[in-house]
Amino acid sequence: MKSPELKSQNRRALALLLLGLILALILMSLPLYRFNAAILTKKSSNTFVGDEKYQSVMAELETTAEEYRAQGFDVSINESVTERVNSKGETTSLITFTIDQVFSKNLFSFLTASLPAGHVFRLIFLCALLSALCAALGLVGSSDLLPRFLDGRARFLRSAAAVLALIALLLVPVFAMMNNFAFGRQLSLYGQELLTEGKEALYRKMDLFLFGGAAGENIGAALKGLSGRPSGMLCLLLPAFALMLLCAVQIRCGAIKSTLLRGLLYTFVVVMCIVVLYPYYVMLITAFRSNAETLDMYFLHMFPTRWIWSNLTDIIHRDVPRFLLNSIFVAGGATVLAMLCGIPAAYAMARMNFAGKKPFLGFVIMSQMFSPVVLLIGISQLMNTLHLNDSVVGLMLVNAAFNQAFAVWLLRGTFVAISPEMEQAALIDGCGTVSALIRVLLPMAAPGIVTTLIFVFINAWNEYTISTVLISTASNKPITVGITQFSSFNMIEWQYLFAASLLATIPVVILFMSIEKHLTAGLTSGGVKG
Amino acid sequence: MTVNAIQGKRKWEPYIWLLPSIVLIAIFVVFPILIVFKLSFSEISQGGVVGGFIGFQNYTEAVRLPAFKTVMLNTLWWVLSVVGLSTVLGFIVALVLNQKFRGRKIARSILVFPWATSLVIQASVWNYIIKYEYGSLNNVLLNLGIINQAINWRSSYTVEFIWECGVGIFVTVPFVAFCVLSGLQSIDGSLYEAATVDGAGFWDKLWNITLPLVRPSLTVSTVLNIIYVFNSFPIVYTMTKGAPAHKTDTMITYLYMLSFYERKKGPATALSVIGFLILCVCAGVYMMGVMRKEEEQ
Repeated sequence: MKSPELKSQNRRALALLLLGLILALILMSLPLYRFNAAILTKKSSNTFVGDEKYQSVMAELETTAEEYRAQGFDVSINESVTERVNSKGETTSLITFTIDQVFSKNLFSFLTASLPAGHVFRLIFLCALLSALCAALGLVGSSDLLPRFLDGRARFLRSAAAVLALIALLLVPVFAMMNNFAFGRQLSLYGQELLTEGKEALYRKMDLFLFGGAAGENIGAALKGLSGRPSGMLCLLLPAFALMLLCAVQIRCGAIKSTLLRGLLYTFVVVMCIVVLYPYYVMLITAFRSNAETLDMYFLHMFPTRWIWSNLTDIIHRDVPRFLLNSIFVAGGATVLAMLCGIPAAYAMARMNFAGKKPFLGFVIMSQMFSPVVLLIGISQLMNTLHLNDSVVGLMLVNAAFNQAFAVWLLRGTFVAISPEMEQAALIDGCGTVSALIRVLLPMAAPGIVTTLIFVFINAWNEYTISTVLISTASNKPITVGITQFSSFNMIEWQYLFAASLLATIPVVILFMSIEKHLTAGLTSGGVKG
Repeated sequence: MTVNAIQGKRKWEPYIWLLPSIVLIAIFVVFPILIVFKLSFSEISQGGVVGGFIGFQNYTEAVRLPAFKTVMLNTLWWVLSVVGLSTVLGFIVALVLNQKFRGRKIARSILVFPWATSLVIQASVWNYIIKYEYGSLNNVLLNLGIINQAINWRSSYTVEFIWECGVGIFVTVPFVAFCVLSGLQSIDGSLYEAATVDGAGFWDKLWNITLPLVRPSLTVSTVLNIIYVFNSFPIVYTMTKGAPAHKTDTMITYLYMLSFYERKKGPATALSVIGFLILCVCAGVYMMGVMRKEEEQ
């Protein structure tokens, strides 16, 4: 247990731990809010930088600034120059001098803040400290320096260190969010109170919120300089805590390289999942927002303030059930048709030898290549002649045809993989080919058939381009085209658009998940995509 | 007595089995191809009335359209960037998902999402996300305190086009990843063990074992992607409709706009044929690959 190897490992871990702590402390002492507020403004016209008038004003301001400094304010002098060419062609210049009070607030000041965010930060701080303590004690516990009572508890301590560091890490974004929400909310809240309680009360409250009452008499001026939001400094805290977490994990589990790689792996996966799910999160929360909230420029929340379930009932009255029915009919019909035509063809391809098998295979693959889009004009012309324009039946037929290739290809693969002996036995028993297919082969090929079925269904369900071209009557639109009615040129009803999208997406995603395994197997041989 | 022996008696039987499939494809795939070819050599009035044979006039008119060059360049960029980047990204994602770790099943299920969702819906969501005034991306970044001021994510049409490519990549990566993943899973683990014994590092193994063995899946996914991405319509159409002045159009959205909005059916059909021929080349390459693979089996 107490091998030299372990000791060097422990030393490394200790170094990491210290590094993390130091990084965290440095970051904490950097200002989180920092802004200048003008206490005194002086404008001086016809002044150029460096001339006599400039010098005298500057000297005057210097003395005033000194007075402020004597009172203990942190002030600086700033100037801004505006130059203009007047009608006579002369250059005039206006210099605005300001004496600014510099306000800044670092994370340490949150330790004493009474805000909710302050509580969270205290918790983070406590967790981090405890984690470091546990880790250190755990290290001591595994060397010879230990107090006796720690013996045998080292393992527990290390686990505790890891868990505490993890909690601290997870709380950092919570803190950031609460802090920023509170900031924005407070501003707007106080803005309303201004009407009833008067300016002074507002200032006192903001002072308390921002500076813990430290801005004193000049808070009015301080707030004037307030703009923007707190910086992203907090995000920098994350690596510091991550380092501590890593160290804790390392102490717990050993080898550092594999820990690092694991950490990277999980980070990659988590980031990937967040990026992939982000649009769905947006879809979900927007579907339950009120119209005003979807268009709110400064919406200071991650979730709707009120979940508007009536968005779902509203879209029922906006033809959405009709669209869904059309989609079910088109996709379902296309699937049935594609399977009815595809199964016999796939069967012939898998079990029979005949002249022209290769060319047919080529023909099938070729037809798979052409998404209907490039043939749009031809298809719409054809539909005109067949009088199937603007009808769900026509849409169904086109979808079936363009998914035919895939169906044949995947089914053929399934059939080939099943040995023909059972069917041959059935044939010898006097079954016809058709009944051998239906009674023997199809039940055995069920998983492959279901996969194909679902995939064709999803393809047809998600199809958009052909439907936009072929369908013009509202009552015949499938859902993918139907949802576009919520986004007209000058007004987009995002909440309805996404509520309907949600209804159109959830079932297919679930279906797709169920076949993903089988599909990936057939993928590289068949080649599929929606 | 085999199946073949039975059908030996009736030589025409296989063709009956194939018939429904052939009829379906012939009517709704082959026939439109013929129609497009015929139209591209015919005079078409603005109202859509088809006149007589006019040779290559539609083609020359199509090439002379002011937006033709931009659109072709856009299409090239669109296909190259989307296919190239999503192949690289998809490959990396597949490598990661092929590792054993807790929650792999969940990660895989999540990765299915973009693949299973309709492109219009995805494009609409991204459209909302990157809105300057009230978009979700600005909102989230502001809330997290990462930025202090809303950023205009679509300041020019170039940027908008890049966003469109981004969304294209977003929806294509899962497909590549799953293709490569199925290839990776068929690799025998003992190969890696042997290589490790021989002292091969991570990059050696990647270069000498993984890449050659997943090349077939990679080829299939790349060629298919070229075709699908080339044909992709909803993303560009939903996000910008090609505006301003076809500056963000790809060939497919352009020919749609030409024929259904600007009533220039003639050049549009010519463009269709050009697109069709490009696809034919890709399809031919793909088919040769597949056929060779079939023969190997």
